[in-house]
Amino acid sequence: MATPEQVKAAIAKLVAAKRDRRRRLAALPYPEKVRAVVQLQRMTVPILKGRNKRARVWEIDTRE
Amino acid sequence: MEKTLQILNALERDGVVGKYAIGGAMGATFYIEPVLTFDLDIFVVLPQTGSLLTLTPLYEMLRAKGYHEEGECVNIEGVPVQFLPAYNALLEEALAEAREIHYEHTPTRVLRAEHLVAICLQTGRDKDRERVRLFREEAALDMQYLMGVLKRHGLEDTWQRLNK
Repeated sequence: MATPEQVKAAIAKLVAAKRDRRRRLAALPYPEKVRAVVQLQRMTVPILKGRNKRARVWEIDTRE
Repeated sequence: MEKTLQILNALERDGVVGKYAIGGAMGATFYIEPVLTFDLDIFVVLPQTGSLLTLTPLYEMLRAKGYHEEGECVNIEGVPVQFLPAYNALLEEALAEAREIHYEHTPTRVLRAEHLVAICLQTGRDKDRERVRLFREEAALDMQYLMGVLKRHGLEDTWQRLNK
């Protein structure tokens, strides 16, 4: 069984990894970020439609 | 999105709108991790017709080009664009000092990160406060410049409260 110190260290490591990932995402070129936004839209629209909310995925060429 | 920006550039070139710049979530996404949004907020200086600031001539021009309104937006080349006139001193300053960038091969503008933070503070919804947090964690803010913006537009207290 892990000690409280080991759990604390593991959580700190996870939080740091998450922060690093966000910083990496923030550093992406803008067109790549736009493609990521469209991907987020694709993932979210079905959920919103299930709640009768109107939302539409941008109809842009994501291979740009 | 490049085609959308080319249409916006043509509107500016033809004098239908004055200067424009990307703001809102897509403006923020230039500086921080991609954030979910379904529209492209475009801040514009509108040519003044008498004493009225109206979007009507812009919408009419877009309709003539085959771009139609969808709620508060106009769908331009597959992207719902929301035009937001610069209706106060902060937005006027933000537009005047917007950054010139290129999206792929197309020139465009995006509001400065510091102005986007100030606009979030002024708007003050939950999602704006969350966005300010992301800016602080992920963007390279020019703190001296930001403090100047906040001071000029009476947002220093709001900033202090948020950082407590």
